[in-house]
Amino acid sequence: MARIIIKKGHDIHMSGVPAKNIESASHPTTVAYQPEEFRYTKPKLLVKEGDSVKIGTPLFFDKCMPDVKWASIGGGKISAIHYGYRKVIEKIIIELDKNEEAVENTAFDHHEISILSKTQVTDHLLAAGMWPMIRQRPYNKIANPEDTPHSIFISCYNSAPLAVDLDVALRNRSSSFQAGITALSKLTQGNVNVVVDETYTSNTFLDIKDAETHMISGPHPAGNVGIQIHHIDPLKPGKVVWTVNAQHVVTIGRLFLKGVFDPSLIISVGGSGVKNPTHLKSRLGASMETLTADRLQDGSQRMISGDVLTGKTSDKNDFVHFYESTVSVIPHSDKRAFLGMLHPGSGKSHYSLTNTYFSFGANSFPFSTLLNGEERAMMPINSWENVFPMNILPNQLYRAILANDVEEMEQLGLIECDEEDFALCSFACPSKIDVGSVIRQGLDILEEEE
Amino acid sequence: MKFLRKILDNLEPKFTKGGPLEKFHAVYNATDTILFSTDDKTESGPHIRDSIDNKRIMILVVVALLPCYIFGAINIGYQSSQFSGIERSVWENFWLGFGVILPILITAFATGAFWEVLFAVIRKHPISEGFLVTCALIPLLMPPTIPLWQVAAATTFGVVIGKEIFGGVGMNIFNPALVARAFIFFAYPSQISGDKVWLKVDGVSGATALAVPAAVENGNAVDLLTKITQFDYSWSNMFWGYIPGSIGETNKFLIIIGLLFLIITKIANWRVIVGALIGLFGTATLTNIMAPLSSNTMLTLPPHYHLVMGGFLFGLAFMATEPVTGAHTDKGRWIFGILFGALTVIIRSINPAYPEGTMLAILLMNAFAPLIDYYVVQGNIKRRMARYAAE
Repeated sequence: MARIIIKKGHDIHMSGVPAKNIESASHPTTVAYQPEEFRYTKPKLLVKEGDSVKIGTPLFFDKCMPDVKWASIGGGKISAIHYGYRKVIEKIIIELDKNEEAVENTAFDHHEISILSKTQVTDHLLAAGMWPMIRQRPYNKIANPEDTPHSIFISCYNSAPLAVDLDVALRNRSSSFQAGITALSKLTQGNVNVVVDETYTSNTFLDIKDAETHMISGPHPAGNVGIQIHHIDPLKPGKVVWTVNAQHVVTIGRLFLKGVFDPSLIISVGGSGVKNPTHLKSRLGASMETLTADRLQDGSQRMISGDVLTGKTSDKNDFVHFYESTVSVIPHSDKRAFLGMLHPGSGKSHYSLTNTYFSFGANSFPFSTLLNGEERAMMPINSWENVFPMNILPNQLYRAILANDVEEMEQLGLIECDEEDFALCSFACPSKIDVGSVIRQGLDILEEEE
Repeated sequence: MKFLRKILDNLEPKFTKGGPLEKFHAVYNATDTILFSTDDKTESGPHIRDSIDNKRIMILVVVALLPCYIFGAINIGYQSSQFSGIERSVWENFWLGFGVILPILITAFATGAFWEVLFAVIRKHPISEGFLVTCALIPLLMPPTIPLWQVAAATTFGVVIGKEIFGGVGMNIFNPALVARAFIFFAYPSQISGDKVWLKVDGVSGATALAVPAAVENGNAVDLLTKITQFDYSWSNMFWGYIPGSIGETNKFLIIIGLLFLIITKIANWRVIVGALIGLFGTATLTNIMAPLSSNTMLTLPPHYHLVMGGFLFGLAFMATEPVTGAHTDKGRWIFGILFGALTVIIRSINPAYPEGTMLAILLMNAFAPLIDYYVVQGNIKRRMARYAAE
């Protein structure tokens, strides 16, 4: 078992950390896909409003890779399809029946899975409409079923603030998790790399077969799969690595063991905007309303599908995104301190990675959506470099992208990056620059050139 | 403060789009955000942000400069009482100096603000808090005898040529305050060249500490300094700052306090500082070794004297560490620091025309910083390309 120690980074101490237990959420009446999140795909509908669907019925496919279909995550009726600008599909909402039906696929036992071929596993996942769970690096997009990845990464460590605790979420899931790993191991000639935190206690990660287990320790973003790839099997042009969310591995495992798409998912609800933050037994694409019902604090809040660093702003009519299993709620604040820039600071009023405020020992800080400043030109005081654990120069990469210098972007290692790895840089930046969105711009340019 | 908030809120519609003073929105925004921290919210990306912003960084640099202002005022009074023979208390010295500094400070701020606002309005960019630091630094770099019109001219040159033509704070190549000083240095050398001291007393003149060894051949620098009776140029006195000089640079102890403050708050990068000290001590030791081969007395000046003489520490603390105009990579910062320290000694010792080398050393290093970074970045690229090719 290999050990990786990450030094650069920071664990943001936020209040509203989800308790380490699992409660059952009120049963949702609707679930939805929000296809805009599947970047670089062209979704084409296979159903229309009013159609009845089972769990597993294909709802739409990708025009660029027609084999890749998305299975319905609920059984019932397509109640609405929302379109956005230029007919982009924004939401496909499924109203759930009381007794949901599911599409039946072939089931295998552990031994049968272990003798499947790459084509069999691929076809099974494609047919079940679960292929979109497999994403590739570079670009963090849905994997091409025709590729053979150099290795597959499964991060079982969520280091982002308030994110779902995978030690809790995957407890007692060892059989399905193992089945998923075995199936995925057929897809690559290289390793399936399972990365866990060294403090884990659950039995799920002990004695995993068909995979290489890595221990990682260090602050966020050590749990980001991009950082793990960089330290274990670094990318280079032409090399492709696949990634799967740990909870999706369980879903894949269940598909193989039981023959059905089981959309259940543990979702954490946290942040200072909710009462009793905790983990909830819920499902893929659950509505925000069901998850946050009776839990919101008074006052104006922002709901986020995902963690506070990389999640998307949502409201109660939205749904948790496909790759997310975290819901965060943080309050808005309109407080304007008189001569705030001269305030000495305290652990209660300020939180900073620099020592410009007396904010030492802030153990659980109640963050709001305040920007705490205004956007300015870059101020290179190493605020990005100190929280970026990759052998890449973030400042210079950012400037190469702004200058649209494709050659330099590639030379500086953009291909190894993803926007989520830069979220902490934006958090710490005194000039309030959103570094991640610029990194994504650069990746868009490179993707288009390919 | 609710009263003030109310006034600002009432004024706001006049400055927003469509209002009669729409063009001056930058002025309103600057006043508003300096008095009250903003309530702007995150839109996308990280929904939560660190408490630090550029305003905080700038105001803390100004705070770090305050002790230099206070001692500067006291020293002006002290120096004049030394030569006029009038006994005065510290408090009286302070007020005398305060009367000298205040007009300089007001001139610098008024001129700086004028240009900052003009450019902000015409180029439609927000007023940058960086001008606070520039305008706070400029008076400290000036001798107390400076005519106010020169302060205004220097500030204009520093802000416009040193900063605004590049696009404002964050995009400038040279430190604007140093550009201002360099402007006077070359345009009006008789007032500021650094070989004659500046005292707020008529009829007294003498050599600055650095000009003493520079003027004599085949001597020993420390001996020469101790022989000067007009001023006390002992090491400890130069450290504690009771010597004539520019307003802010004399007391090395307070500068070190300010420097430590900037390092602890993580605004200044320690690599530049350690590098500069290595560069200064290393080069000065080297010149000491080479001294017998030359008639240049400056070569005999020991490293610890270099440290406390002239503007080295002040420039190191508040200008070489400036993040924007320095190197932007950690390796680059080491090189930047070492070369800055070395260049200071070289310019002081080898170039007889400029007894004070710090200003030119920083400006030269500002010019070289992008080149240093270029090579550091190329090194990073080279290693990555080697890895890409190897596997």
